Amino acid sequence: MPLILILIFCSGIFSLNYIEKSEITIAKIMCIQNDLTSIISQKNNVPNTKTFTKNKKINIMKKVKFATFLLLFAIAGTEISAQSLTAQKIIENVYYRPTGADGTSELSMHLIDSRNNERIRQIKQFSKDFGKEEKSIMFFMSPADVKNTSFMNWSYDDASKDDDQWIYLPALKKTKRISSDSKDDSFMGSDFTYDDLGDRHPNEDNHKLLREETIDGKQCFVIESTPKDGDYMYSKTITWVIKDIWIGIKKEFYDEDADLLKVLTVKKYEKIKDYWVISNTEMKNIQDDHTTKMVLSNIQVDIGIDDNKFTERTMTRGL
Amino acid sequence: MKRILNWLLDYSWVSMIVILFISVFAFYWMKENTQMETDLDEYMPKNHPAFIYSDEAEDIFNIKDGIIIAIENKNGVYNPITLKKIKDLTKEIQKLPEVEKDDVTSLYTADNIIGTEEGLDVKAFYKNVPKSDKDLIKLTHNVRNNDMINLRLVSQDETVTLIIANIHDDAFSQEFYQQILNISHSYEDDEHKLYVAGTPIVEGTLAHLAPKDMAKMIPIVVVVILIVLFLLLRSVKGTLLTFFVVIISTLWTFGLMAWIGIPIYSVSTMIPVMLIAIGVADGIHLFNHLQLHISQHPGVNKKDAIKDMISHMLSPVIMTSVTTAVGFISLLTSQVYPIKYFGLFTAFGVMSAMVFSLIFIPAGLMIFGLPKASKKIKESKASGDNFAYRVAAYLLKHKMISIYVSVFIILFSIVGMQKIWINSSFLDKFEKDSEIVLTDAYINEKFGGTSNINLILESKEKDQFKDPETLRLVDLLQEDIESSLDVVGDSFSLSDYLRRMNKVMHADREDFNTIPDSKDLNAQYLLLYEMSGDPDNLWKVVNYDYSKLNVNIQLKSDDSKSIRSAIDLIKQYEGKFNELGIDVNYAGSGYKALVFTDLILKGQISSLILSLLIVIVLLSVMFKKIIVGLAATVPIILTAFISFGLMGALNIPLSTTTALLSSIAIGIGIDYAVHFVEQYRLNAEKGLDLLQTAQNTMYHSGRAISFNAIVVIAGFMVLLFSVFPPNRELGALISLNMFTSFLGTLTIMLVILNYSKVFFKKKN
Repeated sequence: MPLILILIFCSGIFSLNYIEKSEITIAKIMCIQNDLTSIISQKNNVPNTKTFTKNKKINIMKKVKFATFLLLFAIAGTEISAQSLTAQKIIENVYYRPTGADGTSELSMHLIDSRNNERIRQIKQFSKDFGKEEKSIMFFMSPADVKNTSFMNWSYDDASKDDDQWIYLPALKKTKRISSDSKDDSFMGSDFTYDDLGDRHPNEDNHKLLREETIDGKQCFVIESTPKDGDYMYSKTITWVIKDIWIGIKKEFYDEDADLLKVLTVKKYEKIKDYWVISNTEMKNIQDDHTTKMVLSNIQVDIGIDDNKFTERTMTRGL
Repeated sequence: MKRILNWLLDYSWVSMIVILFISVFAFYWMKENTQMETDLDEYMPKNHPAFIYSDEAEDIFNIKDGIIIAIENKNGVYNPITLKKIKDLTKEIQKLPEVEKDDVTSLYTADNIIGTEEGLDVKAFYKNVPKSDKDLIKLTHNVRNNDMINLRLVSQDETVTLIIANIHDDAFSQEFYQQILNISHSYEDDEHKLYVAGTPIVEGTLAHLAPKDMAKMIPIVVVVILIVLFLLLRSVKGTLLTFFVVIISTLWTFGLMAWIGIPIYSVSTMIPVMLIAIGVADGIHLFNHLQLHISQHPGVNKKDAIKDMISHMLSPVIMTSVTTAVGFISLLTSQVYPIKYFGLFTAFGVMSAMVFSLIFIPAGLMIFGLPKASKKIKESKASGDNFAYRVAAYLLKHKMISIYVSVFIILFSIVGMQKIWINSSFLDKFEKDSEIVLTDAYINEKFGGTSNINLILESKEKDQFKDPETLRLVDLLQEDIESSLDVVGDSFSLSDYLRRMNKVMHADREDFNTIPDSKDLNAQYLLLYEMSGDPDNLWKVVNYDYSKLNVNIQLKSDDSKSIRSAIDLIKQYEGKFNELGIDVNYAGSGYKALVFTDLILKGQISSLILSLLIVIVLLSVMFKKIIVGLAATVPIILTAFISFGLMGALNIPLSTTTALLSSIAIGIGIDYAVHFVEQYRLNAEKGLDLLQTAQNTMYHSGRAISFNAIVVIAGFMVLLFSVFPPNRELGALISLNMFTSFLGTLTIMLVILNYSKVFFKKKN
């Protein structure tokens, strides 16, 4: 499971990865953040003609560059009129977006069970786009017994190449490679699956604009997304997308039996540099009565992280 | 009292109609408002510490009894067809609303964490059904090398694999069971056979089968009793009136239950059983007296005969009913609500049977006329030396026989009682060759076990169960219990996860299949597991802050001996755990059943002793002689001794059903004694000598008591043909109890009365 997704998530829950470099001029894009963040070129020339398979590696270009976490930018001067958008385009708006070249932040993850027991994990994370690959690394700061446990993920533009992942356990003093194949696995024991973290391409679902609605004073599009693959873990999702800034402020996940499974709520989003960053979210599993809260702090983007940061040696050194 | 009853004779129609009218109402209430309670959890006292603890632990660790579906392919399960069946069936089961979607475990859903030279590989065993030989060999290899899966989901001989589905609380129903069976059978073909087992099925079916079988058997019992009653009384009127008393008192009892809103528990199905056994007695004694009276006074006036019957039988009928009711009311001391209700309502039924015997039977006789005097009685009376007289004379001549036999029986019973044991097993209540038992045995043979107990370790310290020393002790305990007890097939806890992770992180080297030495490493392995496996699995064995641990122990049998053997072994470790600041407790349905059975039996024993004491006091007061109270309890004490002694000797375990029977032993046994003593007193006070008193009593009461015993024994022998073993036990034991009470009353009690010369003192 590509660790990159974790990082992407952390930065902003929903992030985008796939961008046709040639079609994008950063200056002209508007950046939308949502469960899927997207960038729209002036021409609305998104690569929606391509077929995205389940394998998310396909068509990844410049994934790293824009997937730096937390970074969801919105650029003023949107030229697209919301009313004219189809559901597909709204989701693409959310999905396609650039992120900074690199970034770092501290994530505190709160895991709360049905009896209100809470576990908190503090994680420091870094990521950087290397052109053909994106590298990211994360270190546990607490709890104490897992301090300095670290993960590293390299993901590649080359679709045929699987992500490389490593884990370093300080108590074992060994770095090990991990390979895994399930994206419906929980992300670090949380209520997020790796897919929830924002790596599902718009073309994997059929989208339908249900209605427009106001949430917390924000005008939103309500989009229903149904997977084309009947075996997918959700039967559908419903996303509330804030008009103009393209943040998915709320998302409902329905299980295979069409019962409401989880609700994602964005509690806070803020502007850092030129990027809209979602910095506080909550995922509640309705069926298990389990909740995960993710709070980001010390968010920094475009800070020029050294290329050598992303090595096995760094992992063993700790913070 | 007598006056009221005599006065009522003038208004027979009114009393008859009023009683019938209320009965119709009761029937209506019963029909409209009765609910069955089949959930066994409802029987458990919710506020008992063991149950509170267990419920809490079940909640924390999501401990549930799973439904087990076994897929068998004699040619081995590692082939595309079987693997496809596993996948499809798993998905189909997950879709059932009763099933917890995320809690269906099979080869298809299980994660495989394996170690490689470089690191760690987390994958499903398969997503798409493997077709090529290479993929199949790889899958086979993966399962064989994964201790967490091999032998847990696939049998040693690789011919059987399991799907384990946890269901929601209270979701089990017969329809659901049938549905699971139908679904499973639809996957069968020439090569594949499917089996369904698991505790919910055993309990659910039991809770369903017992009352159902009883509902089927009771009408047959009633018919047999009617026939035997008629053969003995030789009177249609007598038979019907006696029978109506039983029916009406049962109706009133169940009507009252429905009216108050108390559901029918499976133990409540014994209420009609009790009322039939007890209710016929009053009628039999009344008619017995009436017939004797008529034969002795030919041409007697109807009303006078009935008045004589009332005046003569009023006090024994009241005495027997009150003592019986008191015996049942003593069940209120039980902590188990269904048993309290059982005692209370049976007592109500007994008292209403008394009222009907005294009002309804005389009213019926007034309306329909007296029964004909039995020819037999006339003849035997004429002959002067009838059977009863001879028996009484013989018994008093050879008193020592009764005494020796009684003493011998008590000694023999004491020996037998040493071997008595309590069984909370649900499975043992089914036929040995029933599908449920056979399936269970089959899965137990192939896998760790279908029954579970959960050992709950609890510390005040957070992260206690990341501590290597603690985990090693847990691991040692698991190893010990698995190797030293045959009945324990498998055990599972956090230590299994840690050993697996340690091994995997050391390139799958078997020498690292151990608990790591450092607490931090344990914590890091667990974090890694959370990230790569399904974290929900962890929360089934440990709580959030690692201060509570759940060790699941799989047993091949759910009987109390097996559960106790496991608990006894764990006890040896309790001291060591305590030294580490850890408390040892238990949870799970098997353990609750064990505690529950203990509760019932303890309650049963205390209520038995209590009711015995009350009966002694009551009878001593009624007859104003302590010796009578003591003598009258001798037959019931003998009955209890024989009953328990035989069960011990025949290796029949005590269960909730068999334990309740001791109430009947007292309830009915005391009736025999009271009738007999009362008659004995009357005869003695008439001025007859010792022998004549005995003979007359034997002739009068002895006859009624024999009738009573024959009727009830015949009725309950019918239960021997039940398809449900506990009901067969019930039938056999009631019959036995009735027989020994009857015999004890007519022999040893008579001998004791004779010895004590009670009621003759004034004369001397």
